[in-house]
Amino acid sequence: MAEDLVLDTAIRDWVLIPLSVVMVLIGVLRYFVSKLMRSSQTPDVKIVKEGQVIVRARNLRAGANFIPPKSFRSRRVYFSNEENGLLHVPKGQAQNAQAAMFSDPNMAMDMMKKNLSMIIPQTLTFAWVNFFFSGFVAAKIPFPLTQRFRSMLQNGIDLSSVDVSYVSSRSWYFLNLFGLRGLFSLILGEENAMDDTQRMMQMGGFGFDPTKSLSAEKDSLDIVQHEWALPKFEHRAEAVLRKLVS
Amino acid sequence: MVSNTEEIQLNRLENQVDNGGGGAWDYLCLVRKLKVRRSEKVLKHGLSILNDPKKRSSLGPDEWTLYEQVAIAAMDCQCLDVAKDCIKVLQKRFPESKRVGRLEALLLEAKGFWEEAEKVYSSLLEDNPLDQVIHKRRVAMAKAQGNISGAIEWLNKYLEIFMADHDAWRELAETYVSLQMYKQAAFCYEELILSQPTVPLYHLAYADVLYTLGGLENLQTAKKYYASTIDLTGGKNTRALLGICLCSSAIAQLSKGRNKEDKENPELQSLAATALEKEYKQRAPTKLGLLISTLKSLKV
Repeated sequence: MAEDLVLDTAIRDWVLIPLSVVMVLIGVLRYFVSKLMRSSQTPDVKIVKEGQVIVRARNLRAGANFIPPKSFRSRRVYFSNEENGLLHVPKGQAQNAQAAMFSDPNMAMDMMKKNLSMIIPQTLTFAWVNFFFSGFVAAKIPFPLTQRFRSMLQNGIDLSSVDVSYVSSRSWYFLNLFGLRGLFSLILGEENAMDDTQRMMQMGGFGFDPTKSLSAEKDSLDIVQHEWALPKFEHRAEAVLRKLVS
Repeated sequence: MVSNTEEIQLNRLENQVDNGGGGAWDYLCLVRKLKVRRSEKVLKHGLSILNDPKKRSSLGPDEWTLYEQVAIAAMDCQCLDVAKDCIKVLQKRFPESKRVGRLEALLLEAKGFWEEAEKVYSSLLEDNPLDQVIHKRRVAMAKAQGNISGAIEWLNKYLEIFMADHDAWRELAETYVSLQMYKQAAFCYEELILSQPTVPLYHLAYADVLYTLGGLENLQTAKKYYASTIDLTGGKNTRALLGICLCSSAIAQLSKGRNKEDKENPELQSLAATALEKEYKQRAPTKLGLLISTLKSLKV
């Protein structure tokens, strides 16, 4: 067991510190590049309108009992009739929505830009780290850890005899990649710090189909039972007044 | 909506600033955040910051926001020269900005050059057809020129896209009422009740409109909405109490000859009358006689 692995100070000067500095600089650079490439999005009228329709339909569903039955029925027909209701989605259109999204060059372009600013620097730095600094220990953390941390801290070294508290250079790279978010929010301001995990979540949200929520809203509107709440209010008002008068 | 605590804080800050206690910037920020209209104060205190180069530069990038705020306040107070200067500074800094373009059109509007303003707005809309502020300005412009039906047209166009904007619905409702188009107004108030079912003011306004429309069915509905207003306000709303009395007497008059089966709870009316009397006794004892005679004439 190598209890006392002595780390060369040159490793600190030429690996540990440069690696961290480079990671920070790349993060800053990426921020500015993505700022340059970001195109000001003008939202589509149709999408905005659909969102508003959904909000209004949801309001109708939630507050249905507060308006007279006649008003409710006319609104429901307005929203969900089969000819030109606002929530009604024609059959053919529903399937095409996904395809239309991909054929829209703007959308694809945006996605590519986002991807480019994320993936290219990441692959490049990883290749760089792998090429120059792979396979040796770069730092030691000042407290002992259990064996489970081996895969996290000693990526790239396949030795089971090295103590877990030693950090390999490649692991140091990963730690920096995911752990610098706090620093970025300090340097670039709160909302600008976007770490990669968040970006990936955003990617997952892509491909969301607005027509689906339209028809879902339509279905739930169709099954609403209207029960006018106002007649009850007369009795409640009576109770309130009785309390007030007495 | 400005909540109670926020208003207290705002007034406290205003007092402090008025008496030279400092904190002008905080006050202006709060005004901006709450979107309240205190143009005179904003103009006064905002200008005092802008005219002091040291204070101004200490704001950093917020300086430009302040210029915008002061410009709008100045236009509200008809200090067009001040507004013009502010906009000039802003335009020098942001030559291509649409936000500044909006301000310029606003200045044209303030001067009364409606056609020029309209031209600027439509060219701005071409770039961004979803600019809510510009759509609303168009409505306001039509209204300012006395073109109420034009305002309604613009509002309807706006609501076709942004149909969840309840402030616009409210504006439309009030405009319809001013034109005595009560059926349309009733629809708008229904929409408002749907979006905020617990705001008693909408219930009250809806009831008013229904009562004005008349007819047995509408009157009965109006009475129900007056009742809900009473319930939501805890019986504190005098208008709703009076509405109950008026509705009941009107219903009684209309259904005089018919069968009395739909005569629901007559108690509500008498309770409302008693509550009214009690309130008048407390608040305005001199007017009590007037009220009693009115109520008597209502009871057919």
